[in-house]
Amino acid sequence: MATQYARERGGGQSDSLYRAVVDTAVDAIVIIDRAGEVRSVNQATERLFGYTPGELVGHNVNMLMPEPYAAEHDSYLANYLRTGAKKIIGIGREVAGRRKDGSVFPMELSVGEARDGDEPIFVGIIRDITERKVAEAALRESELRWRSILDTVPDAIIVIDAHGAVESFSPAAERLFGYAAGEVVGNNVKMLMPSPYREAHDDYLARFASTGERRIIGIGRIVVGRRKDGGTFPMQLAVGEFASPSGNFFTGFVRDLTERQVSERRIEDLQTELLHASRLSVMGQMASTMAHELNQPLTAVTNYLEAGRHLMSTGAAAPERIADLMEKAVTQAQRAGEVIRQLRQFVSKGETERRTQNLNQLVEEALALALIGARQSGVLVSLELDRELPPVLVDPVQIQQVVLNLVRNAVEAMEEVERRELTISTRPVGEKIETSVADSGPGIAPELANRLFQPFVTTKKTGMGLGLSICREIIEAHHGHLTFSPRPGGGTIFLLTLPKTSQDEPTDAG
Amino acid sequence: MPGNAHVYIVDDDAAVRDSLSVLLDACGYQVRTFGLAQEFLDAASALPPGCLIADIRMPEMDGLELQRRLKERSLSFPTIVITGHGDVPLAVRAMKAGALDFIEKPYASQAILNSVAAALLRLRAPDERDPSAVAATAKLDLLSPREREVLEGLLAGLPNKSIAYDLAISPRTVEIHRARVMDKMGARSLSELVRFALAAGVRTK
Repeated sequence: MATQYARERGGGQSDSLYRAVVDTAVDAIVIIDRAGEVRSVNQATERLFGYTPGELVGHNVNMLMPEPYAAEHDSYLANYLRTGAKKIIGIGREVAGRRKDGSVFPMELSVGEARDGDEPIFVGIIRDITERKVAEAALRESELRWRSILDTVPDAIIVIDAHGAVESFSPAAERLFGYAAGEVVGNNVKMLMPSPYREAHDDYLARFASTGERRIIGIGRIVVGRRKDGGTFPMQLAVGEFASPSGNFFTGFVRDLTERQVSERRIEDLQTELLHASRLSVMGQMASTMAHELNQPLTAVTNYLEAGRHLMSTGAAAPERIADLMEKAVTQAQRAGEVIRQLRQFVSKGETERRTQNLNQLVEEALALALIGARQSGVLVSLELDRELPPVLVDPVQIQQVVLNLVRNAVEAMEEVERRELTISTRPVGEKIETSVADSGPGIAPELANRLFQPFVTTKKTGMGLGLSICREIIEAHHGHLTFSPRPGGGTIFLLTLPKTSQDEPTDAG
Repeated sequence: MPGNAHVYIVDDDAAVRDSLSVLLDACGYQVRTFGLAQEFLDAASALPPGCLIADIRMPEMDGLELQRRLKERSLSFPTIVITGHGDVPLAVRAMKAGALDFIEKPYASQAILNSVAAALLRLRAPDERDPSAVAATAKLDLLSPREREVLEGLLAGLPNKSIAYDLAISPRTVEIHRARVMDKMGARSLSELVRFALAAGVRTK
């Protein structure tokens, strides 16, 4: 090889330098003459093909090729020398090589042409690309595997670019949103959102791009999605971010919370996670106990007063006797008051933890949670949330309980009507923030209107009549108000008002 | 007013016990109160005949158990049971065990006074069937099959929603049936309906 070549050329310092370079090369270097006979090879050739230089030099280079290249090589060479048509020289190609042991491997071959006196010689540089091929195959396989996973996971997967344009839309997403991938890819992802998310989404992306402020990435939230038919549904959204040479991308994983496939257990997990279910059931038990505790003194009060009235009507009883009954009735009324005080304490102080919160987010989550299972009832939900809402200082769980309660009430109220429209809005009004939950139900009967927030008053067939009274307790403990009014055109609007600025806890909740 | 008519009150809540006693006393009844069912049971055989008002939920021995023990000893007191919210199934059991009436707490005083008067009437003419119950037997035939099913559901102490589910109809429809049943049976309250229906021999599920 190089040594041999040097000897043939007569030796010299430039030859030894040349030899060092050639032998240092990682790639195999093979020099052939016009007949295809090997003139010289370097050390890498020996390593790669397993032949000693002596076994190669003077032999046809096609011994290093598998069929059909081996058989065709001589005619390629002849053809080139005759026509000058370059098929490989100066271009480089991926071809196959053959080792001494007969094994075949993929290689990248580049060929240069030179002159040795008048004779053309060809320099072949050979790189073993076995590993690269393996890596490429692995990459391809990996991509196929991922694609098959993405195509089968029940979660819808949507990839968007930094401007919100949809890059990919999985089959699960097609099923969930009712759009074919072709209808969505290339369009802005906001088409999958109802107002007001739809209008706000570009701003979110822009804000994230400029500030890096994370509202949802890596956190996951419950939001509302919009299907092709305009229907809305609660969904859990997790967003991941990845940077590629062609820009930033976001991957959204969407889980339909109304989907029947979602097992009850998952919903329960979620609710427990948000503490709603557990707290509400504690609240329910509490309420039931309270009802019993209140019944006792109230019954006694009624009895004492009735007895007193009876005695007075006969005119036979001594005033001291009547006074004694009054005294007893008062004691029992106070006992009832004590029960109420305990309830109020439980509700307003018990485990309460006030934090600065974005009311919109609380409302959205409570709404999504309240709508679980309401998909069939065909309720048209519209959200009118003021995006500039200042934060409020509240116990998030309690406020969500209230909203959840109001939304559930609204949905139930619309069970028997044709037009089911639920509108939830938030807006700042002076020093307060108003949240309204409006339904298109039959409205509140006038005879109930004055007593609606009282305990044990209910419009439901099976209800304790404690939900609204507890809601009002909670809101008043937050220095707010809970009221209702008829909705123009039919239905009821519940209005929840909370103070804008934070206030200290009351020293006496009673 | 019945100056020599006896009423016995068994309730674990001292205020309820005392206030009811005061009320009935003001109305001219001879009243004795007991804080525990066992106390009444111990005294029962020596007591003059009278009406028993028992809370259905009490510690140690509840109203139902008291009824059973009295029956065991062949002691007969026309009984009114007092129930809390949502205790209809318990109340129905009490009625089946022979209670004359059940009254839900909190109650109007007049309701309990009426009930006591009816119970004492029964004491004087034990074999005479409640006239409104006799009439109820005839009225039972007026019910449609569906109304009859709803009635049976009510007697089983089921809420409207459960009855609706069992019959595969809407809760609203159950409510309508329920109102018709009350009308046709001439019952003014659930307890009256239960009383009439049991007297008329309706079996519960």
